[in-house]
Amino acid sequence: MKGRGRWVVTAFAAMGLLAIPAAAHHSFGAEYDANKPVTLSGTVTKIEWTNPHSYFYLDVKDDKGNVANWKFEGYGPGVLYRNGWKRGISMKPGDSITVTGWRARDGTNWAHARQVTLASGEKMLFGPPAGTGDGGAAPPVEVK
Amino acid sequence: MRRLMGFLTVAMAWAPSYLPAQTPARSNAEPSAKSAFPRAADGKPDLTGVWQGGSTARGSWEEANGGTGVGGTGKNPNAPAVLSASDRPATAEKAPYQAWAAQKVLESYKLRGIDDPSAQCLPPGLPRTSVLGLFPTQIVQTPQQIVFLYEYMHEFRVVPLNAKHRDDLAPTYMGDSVGHWEGDTLVVDVTGFNDKTWLVGTGTFHSEALHVTERYTRVDKDQINYDITLEDPNVLTKPWIIHTNLMLREGTRLEEYVCAENNLAPAFYERLQKNNVNFQRP
Repeated sequence: MKGRGRWVVTAFAAMGLLAIPAAAHHSFGAEYDANKPVTLSGTVTKIEWTNPHSYFYLDVKDDKGNVANWKFEGYGPGVLYRNGWKRGISMKPGDSITVTGWRARDGTNWAHARQVTLASGEKMLFGPPAGTGDGGAAPPVEVK
Repeated sequence: MRRLMGFLTVAMAWAPSYLPAQTPARSNAEPSAKSAFPRAADGKPDLTGVWQGGSTARGSWEEANGGTGVGGTGKNPNAPAVLSASDRPATAEKAPYQAWAAQKVLESYKLRGIDDPSAQCLPPGLPRTSVLGLFPTQIVQTPQQIVFLYEYMHEFRVVPLNAKHRDDLAPTYMGDSVGHWEGDTLVVDVTGFNDKTWLVGTGTFHSEALHVTERYTRVDKDQINYDITLEDPNVLTKPWIIHTNLMLREGTRLEEYVCAENNLAPAFYERLQKNNVNFQRP
């Protein structure tokens, strides 16, 4: 499928990036470790288009042929829709995809999804950048 | 001073720390000629429409957000992300908290905001709800009242015009709003808050004495200048003033947002703490 808004990428990159306050429903930065990026390829087994956040599950096979099921978290359905995702069309169970994100701090097979490369080769954003919702690089008050 | 205040330096909540802070300059445009934006039958600027907070980009949602890494509505994963409601919408100064209160804010910051009331799907309060960029806001204007519909958390505010606050207000998450027009600026006075929300930015708590004054000035077809004054003598040393924007997003419709549907955050936080997983800032 054609990516929504792809044509504006160049225009806005040229203009410089504009700031948009984003809602952090909760702290991705507490749950996921920005120092543990992960890129995995596998087969989608389930998708939960839910608020406040959506999830998809991925069967990932290691070198020995062992399959592990991973859970990836991202935006809720409203944000995904505005970002070009079509429920039931963009990504379906059985699709082969590659996802890049960050692992859960507790070391389980959970991760926060950022970029998904669909079977078609199209790249889409499923979740926010690393460390979001945790207060950012500086506290909102002076540190004494 | 006006010019100085016109800049909104943006804190980077949803941004990796290696990204530079963005400093989007808000237009300092004064209200344009009367023909520049629609007016209601009573001659007031008509604020009716779907708007996006915190942006300076004109155009549809797609056009304005396609290139940014922002709140995730962009296509470029390497693009700097921007201000989140868990961050300070950095004005020229940081939040002017009293010393004891600043320490409490820092405790939440150290905890990476796991004590965020909105993680429990509670109403986010003001101005956290009203400055958002990730979710649209719809304004419906009549001569008697202004209605704000927020996709985020499915919140709304009904603002009667030329009315007084009730004298029997019970504390609420979103407060009690009354409005009036000062020339072409809609001024909304909000009081009657409970103390269970954050202002904007991780840990930015307040007391029930919070008083919010909002000023909405539509400067042209695409832009409302949105100026907010936060007063709370119990926790702040002086008013905290925030200048930001709302940008028109024609064609965007509000989506459903049912936070309680699948809220896994509280259990996740509990698991981290129970298992002594190190998630706090040093």
